[in-house]
Amino acid sequence: MAIRGSNSEKDWQIIGLLRQRGVDKRKGEESLFNEYAYFIRDGIRKHRLSEDEAFDAYSDSVLAVIESISSETFQGNSSLKSYLYKIFHNKCVDLFRKNATNKNSVNRALSIDEELFRLSDKSRSILQTLIEKADWKVLKERLEQLGDDCRRMLLLWSDSYSDKEIAVVMDYKTANVVKTSRLRCLAKLRQLYHIE
Amino acid sequence: MESLEYIDAYFGGEFPPEEASRFEKRIQEDPGFADEVAYYLGALSAAREANRTERKKRFRELYKEGAGKGRTATVRRMGSRKWLTVAAAAAVLGMIVLAWLLYMRPADPARLAERYIQQNLASLPVKMGRTDRLQKGIDLYNSGKFTEALRQYEGLLRSDSLDLTALNYAGIVSLRIENYDKALDYFIKLQHHTDPRVNPGLFYEALTLLRRNYAGDSDHAKQLLRQIVEKELNKKADAQELLGKL
Repeated sequence: MAIRGSNSEKDWQIIGLLRQRGVDKRKGEESLFNEYAYFIRDGIRKHRLSEDEAFDAYSDSVLAVIESISSETFQGNSSLKSYLYKIFHNKCVDLFRKNATNKNSVNRALSIDEELFRLSDKSRSILQTLIEKADWKVLKERLEQLGDDCRRMLLLWSDSYSDKEIAVVMDYKTANVVKTSRLRCLAKLRQLYHIE
Repeated sequence: MESLEYIDAYFGGEFPPEEASRFEKRIQEDPGFADEVAYYLGALSAAREANRTERKKRFRELYKEGAGKGRTATVRRMGSRKWLTVAAAAAVLGMIVLAWLLYMRPADPARLAERYIQQNLASLPVKMGRTDRLQKGIDLYNSGKFTEALRQYEGLLRSDSLDLTALNYAGIVSLRIENYDKALDYFIKLQHHTDPRVNPGLFYEALTLLRRNYAGDSDHAKQLLRQIVEKELNKKADAQELLGKL
């Protein structure tokens, strides 16, 4: 993959780190965030957003880019800077429109779209109805109440870490141990969710 | 736990197509199982949200940290010292450009000639004790009455077409009223009838060409001015000065 743009060496460093796991990936995320953090000022100045809004738009854009790189949907047709700026600009415009029309928060697509689209229309429709009914706020709160290890394991799992990778990062003996522990954590979370 | 493991295997891509079909059928036929799948996906979504929140929290710390160090939002901004350097460089560049514009840039020929005329031909020297038509023309010229002054000199030339002073003044007045062709006629005639080392005809011809500034006039004027300098003709110093500015 060749990256167009003048900053390709730096881009490669960041992309390389983002494709790693653990500490390296974290370094990549931080490098990407720091590299273009000055966009936040652009958001404030050009899109008349508050600093918090511009920060949110920028952080969400950085996370979207990280996601694209991790899932290899970023093709390198533009520099990281251009790619990130395009996403950031669109988010700023959305936020500005939201501010101008006093609408509720900008809808964020469900982060489980990928999983839902594996299913047939009929199954997806059933699950979507159930998901819409559920109280996700409580589930998120319960997740915070899980023990540190459980929480961390579930967060890594949600970030597409395989059980083998989680075993390395969290110092577990085998991937099977991780899988058993992770499923236990999920069951524990379900119990907490159903209490009340 | 068992159903969670089963659901996890499906989303982990571990099922062959037949088992995947069975999985889907169960969602559609078993509401309890569908609830379990919805929970699994909800937990995944909640964990992803928590992940995002955690990373954004870390980004927020980086942002604050950067702001404390004078970077982040201002990461790409220049420090005040750099700004000073840039400002100083811009000032020096500005001065160079200004100096070039004022002193070094080749002058516009017409403007240069006009400046010379304003400085040297604003008035003609009064000949003490003379009250003839020549003097009257000078008085009229110095009063800014150019057309009337020209009439005086043309009257003189009608009676003596070789009156060199009248030719010279008629040329100068014609130049002032911007009748360049007429001015050139007078100055060329002036050159033919006297020694060029003492009459200024060639220089004024060059000056008129510069002032008219038609295509090729400037080059022609330069040739004449060089000729004056090389042959040490009348108004050599003025010719040198104009050449230096062209």
